[in-house]
Amino acid sequence: MIRFAFILAAFSAAANAPSLPDFRNIAAQAGLTDVFPNGGTVSKKYIIETTGSGAAFIDYNNDGLLDIFVLSGKGGTNRLYRNDGNGHFTDVTRETGLTSDAWNQGVCAGDFDNDGFTDLVVTSWGGITLYRNVEGRRFENVTHQAHLDQSRVRYNTGCAFLDYDNDGKLDLFIANYVKFDFATTPKPGENPYCWYRDLAVNCGPRGLPFDRNILYHNNGNGTFTDVSDASGISKPDQSYCLGVLTGDFNQDGRTDIFVACDQTPSLLYINRGDGTFSEEALLRGAAFDENGKAMSGMGAASADYDGDGKPDIFRSNFSDERETLYHNRGGAEFDDVTIAAGMAHNTRFVGWGCGFFDFDNHGWKDLFLANGHVFPEVDRLKVDIHYKDRAILYRNNGDSTFTDISAHAGPGILERHAARGVAFGDYDNDGAVEVLINNQNETPSLLKSARKPGGSWVILALQGTISNRSAIGARVRLTAGARTQIDEVRSGGSYLSQNDLRLHFGLGSASKIDRVEIDWPGEVHQVERNLEVNRVVTIREPCR
Amino acid sequence: MAQPFPRKTEPRPKGAVFAAFTLLTVSAFAQDPVAKGIEEFHQGNYDAAKTTLEQALKHKPRDAHARTFLALSRAATGGCDTASNDLYDAFTNQQNADLRRLAGLALVECHLAHNRLDAAVPVALALERDFPADADVLYEAARLHMKAWNDVVFQMFQKTPASYRVNQISAEIFEIQGRYADAVAEYRKAIEKNPAAINLHFRLGRALLLHSHSPEALLAARKEFEAELKLNPSDAVAEYEVGQILLAQNKPREARPRFEHALAESPDFTEALLAVAKVRADAKRYDEAIPLLERAIKLQPANESAHYNLMLAYRNAGRTADAQREKAEVDKLKRPPSGEFTEFLKKLGEKAPNQ
Repeated sequence: MIRFAFILAAFSAAANAPSLPDFRNIAAQAGLTDVFPNGGTVSKKYIIETTGSGAAFIDYNNDGLLDIFVLSGKGGTNRLYRNDGNGHFTDVTRETGLTSDAWNQGVCAGDFDNDGFTDLVVTSWGGITLYRNVEGRRFENVTHQAHLDQSRVRYNTGCAFLDYDNDGKLDLFIANYVKFDFATTPKPGENPYCWYRDLAVNCGPRGLPFDRNILYHNNGNGTFTDVSDASGISKPDQSYCLGVLTGDFNQDGRTDIFVACDQTPSLLYINRGDGTFSEEALLRGAAFDENGKAMSGMGAASADYDGDGKPDIFRSNFSDERETLYHNRGGAEFDDVTIAAGMAHNTRFVGWGCGFFDFDNHGWKDLFLANGHVFPEVDRLKVDIHYKDRAILYRNNGDSTFTDISAHAGPGILERHAARGVAFGDYDNDGAVEVLINNQNETPSLLKSARKPGGSWVILALQGTISNRSAIGARVRLTAGARTQIDEVRSGGSYLSQNDLRLHFGLGSASKIDRVEIDWPGEVHQVERNLEVNRVVTIREPCR
Repeated sequence: MAQPFPRKTEPRPKGAVFAAFTLLTVSAFAQDPVAKGIEEFHQGNYDAAKTTLEQALKHKPRDAHARTFLALSRAATGGCDTASNDLYDAFTNQQNADLRRLAGLALVECHLAHNRLDAAVPVALALERDFPADADVLYEAARLHMKAWNDVVFQMFQKTPASYRVNQISAEIFEIQGRYADAVAEYRKAIEKNPAAINLHFRLGRALLLHSHSPEALLAARKEFEAELKLNPSDAVAEYEVGQILLAQNKPREARPRFEHALAESPDFTEALLAVAKVRADAKRYDEAIPLLERAIKLQPANESAHYNLMLAYRNAGRTADAQREKAEVDKLKRPPSGEFTEFLKKLGEKAPNQ
């Protein structure tokens, strides 16, 4: 009897123990075998070699399956891989017209012309490219026709489509890093900004001139107008900007913009609802870390990690810095809660692509972060900071804290790469989110857990009718059982990357979804009840 | 063990160093031997300048300009012995600031060349006071302090090679060089020689943290800070470091009393004030956090972290106007400094900050 009771207790404990994923890199078997060059591998002469590049999960041909788009630095090409539906991807770059031999940096997706097909923007040193999706068959470079040519060489980084004026047409935000050119930029060791721990390294961003961010307004006729000055977007001129994260952070129905900036204050543009933005990161507590110090912000992600109904922000930073988790107190006022959340210890990594996703469908958004140093030269120091490093996976404990489970989450997490862009999406629609990582000068990683998550799930595919067709900016409030979760459809995000535009929710033990509320950009409020779980659900915005 | 910097005989100051100094505007009257001599000096022709100015002074023995430039020319050609008095005279009495600066710099050079550090220090300090943003002045001051440091360390290595202090100074040199593993080894040797010495465990703990970010390093460093506290229980900084390690180990609850203790031991310790204020703010006790932060600012008016945290505490307490005022302070403190960086940006065609 005593022995039986002991066995029962042990069984019960095991059943309650959080399940661990077993992430493996299946890129090779999925057909992702191309190497994506990005500058030097032993040393890097210029900063442009350090920041690329992004990756995307998009469904370009509307077959319901996520395809993969990976960006390349100079010497290679961006590549689009079509999802064959059997766990394999086929390179369709050439036939879709996406070949590009540039210093490509970031990617963001959105249906800018509302024709039902997802278009792409690629940012690069030199300019941006708008690729119009022609009926899911090919992409057409319409940059010039869209009036998106830039008058000078710019170091464009993060980007996002957003409908800042809720007119149903997607506008475009582009972050800029520094003013850079090969001729005038100093070489490694040439001035005090070209040294790292006694190593002569590529110069910058400190010591290089700042540039300003850009906002293009969609005119609705295939063209855009640069409204950077009129909107106030170009006003901040003291930040080196990289990752872009849009969201309605003050929950007033208008899309705001957070930008992770390197060695300088991060920016939070609050949408004033009259076509202008005011940059308010400092007073709102989202510019610095808890000590009031500017971090080397790279990527950014948002989720309501603590279930209080307000979107929070995570930012990846440099080595010898903590990552930053900003808790939204409401009204887009943030507190740095990195330490309280249990994220104080990972200080040796340079973080890039990041994202909240519920890997085990337990109903709380977990957090993934890809790493890799900017200086390959750092390996000469023989310290515990490495050019190629492993990723980090935090499990959300559901009590406002996270547990670092990186060491027990499978070999895919522990592989060392100089990782940059990361995208999240469920490419096989099985309810488990996969992670796509762009690794400098290597093949990408595609992380899939060999252990099926236990909880139920749903993927919401939203289609705007009055709003923009991609539903970018639509805010969802989902209740299943005792849990209510929120999320928002976003273009861009992570680090210069694009996640699946559909929204994935882990639902724990819930067997049905009680209620889904959608606030579409604009004024339409929609409620759906009693939805089935474990499937992809498409929801169309009701016509007025 | 670290090697002190090699001791070398200082070369005589030669023309190059003087040529780098700011040139004076002189009116070149070819027929005026003083003007001619000054021009020869500016052209770097110090021997000719010396001869010309010596001749000129025979006719105008009270010409202060001629006397100063003769002293500068002599110093430039290795004649510090004959130049020093006139250089000192020019440095202390000359009304022309440029000439006074030149004389002061030459005087420091002469003293350094003759190993007269005691005499050089007051001149360098006066130069630093009067020309605080002058690259040449700062360079000479840096040379002087480095030489003084080098000489003493050299003495230490020669006369007390087996002392724990030699290991300690070696460790500190390694730290400066970023060779943290070597620094750790030297601190350990020093502790072995003198386990009761104050500050060694603390420095070792710091070096361990600089060497590695691993959980093991955190544990080892904490052990050293605790050892320091055993030797000196009122060491507020060691107590604070333990608190920081506990935070990094995701143990904020254990960290709190360590910060409290550090502050109790040293009420003017700004970092501890900030740490305790953050503890209070985390607990939403803003009315308790605010006076601590205000006190930190009183102690260190330019402390950005204190201003930033006070801004947030005011904001969270609903004191919007006070928060805005602190924001203005943070903005002011965060403004990029003018100087080299600004100049560098200008060279690259960028508008300088604040313009």
